[in-house]
Amino acid sequence: MTEPLLQIEGFAVAANGIPLLRDVAISLGTGERVALTGPSGCGKTTLLRAIAGLIDPVAGSVRLRGQTPETFGWPAFRRRVILVAQRPVLLEGTVCQNLSRPFRYATAKTVFDEPRALDLMAQLLLEPGRMTQEALSLSEGQRQRICLLRALLAEPDVVLLDEPSSALDDAAAEAVDVVVRREARQRGLAALIVSHERGRITESCDRVMDLTSAKGAA
Amino acid sequence: MEGTGPGAVALSPWQLVLAASLVLIAGGISFALRLGLEKRLALASLRTVVQLLLVGVILRWVFRLEHVLPVLGVVLVMTIIAGRAAVQRSGRTFPGATWRAVVTLVLSAWLTAVLVTGAIIQIEPWYKPQYLIPLLGMILGNALTGISLCLDQVLQSLAGQREQVEMELAHGATRWEAARAPLADAVRRGMIPIINSMMVAGLVSLPGMMTGQILAGEDPFKAVEYQIVVMFMIAAATSLGCMLIAVLVYHRLFNARHQLLSDLITKRQN
Repeated sequence: MTEPLLQIEGFAVAANGIPLLRDVAISLGTGERVALTGPSGCGKTTLLRAIAGLIDPVAGSVRLRGQTPETFGWPAFRRRVILVAQRPVLLEGTVCQNLSRPFRYATAKTVFDEPRALDLMAQLLLEPGRMTQEALSLSEGQRQRICLLRALLAEPDVVLLDEPSSALDDAAAEAVDVVVRREARQRGLAALIVSHERGRITESCDRVMDLTSAKGAA
Repeated sequence: MEGTGPGAVALSPWQLVLAASLVLIAGGISFALRLGLEKRLALASLRTVVQLLLVGVILRWVFRLEHVLPVLGVVLVMTIIAGRAAVQRSGRTFPGATWRAVVTLVLSAWLTAVLVTGAIIQIEPWYKPQYLIPLLGMILGNALTGISLCLDQVLQSLAGQREQVEMELAHGATRWEAARAPLADAVRRGMIPIINSMMVAGLVSLPGMMTGQILAGEDPFKAVEYQIVVMFMIAAATSLGCMLIAVLVYHRLFNARHQLLSDLITKRQN
């Protein structure tokens, strides 16, 4: 049996001391896309934040290629398992400066590839001229796609996508779905995609896991 | 009046009472404009008189003793009060902020003051209270302003820009890489008052120590020399203090797992 790319076992998360999810087990293979669904407030976002190590889980463990995040070092682990938050966060500066920023970190192993960024921008229905635009002047939907693009350019093993199409129209949501699928097929990118409702992106995933029961084993 | 310099005009108690009547003008304006500041003004005036008289008595006693332990006792009390004030002036706080501010002041202000008395002015002994206590007082007064501004800025940034900091962490930034910009902004803000003071030193107003020396009959040029030392000393202590408090905040609010512990930041109830 091949070792899963990302293994989450016995995970329990809480927010402000209130237990949200428990006994969550997720196994994600290379190139696999798994959708996590559940009602608003059930703990999906908290679960993704805990998997990324931005907060501590109440219980449970995460392993990437069979190794704990401590083995990689937390920054290096997060470089391989990138969380794209629901609210798109961009910093002051141009789109290009935002996209190239993660390549300044000590964990960066590659350099910013602008032609690839422009190619992915086109696939995400963003005009090339956006590259020099002030990032904070973009619309919510454009920001959401730039944030996804920023994560993909870092070439992680896994992306944790929190409601990736919440601010997108149908065409843009379709484009996001196509790009993630292509990255999964071509590069082996695995994706854990959270959504409060079943939609285009969750439907096209390899598996859908409902967190309503707060217990899962996908 | 005992203890005044050779050229200083001795003040009688009546002259002090006359000076106090100046506050009545401010009180009268407050009353006329219904500002409601009369009580606070009266309390502040009373506190000024009582606190300064008390300090005068203690300093006279410490100056006569000329022993290192009472001097250290006085400067320790001054430092703790300054540390508390620095934290209380900040709009936000976190557990352990006060002792970190005190440690910051001990390391920055004490180090600078001892360097100035021992190595620059070369006082014998280095703890001579007539020099160490007023010099340290000036350093603490300025450093606490810088530290409180720095503290306020860094806590405001880390609480208000949590999403930005976490976005950087989520893309593989180390805690230092994610914190560097807010910390640098905070140090910069803490340094603004002293840099502004240095820019206009002598142009807008004569600095406090220089004014005091001139009033005490000292040669203005000699007063200027001392004031230059004081300004540099304050600048050094403030910059050192701002950097230290920023680093201590960083170590408290980011853990070894490179997480931002923004929940520890609370708004101060005023």
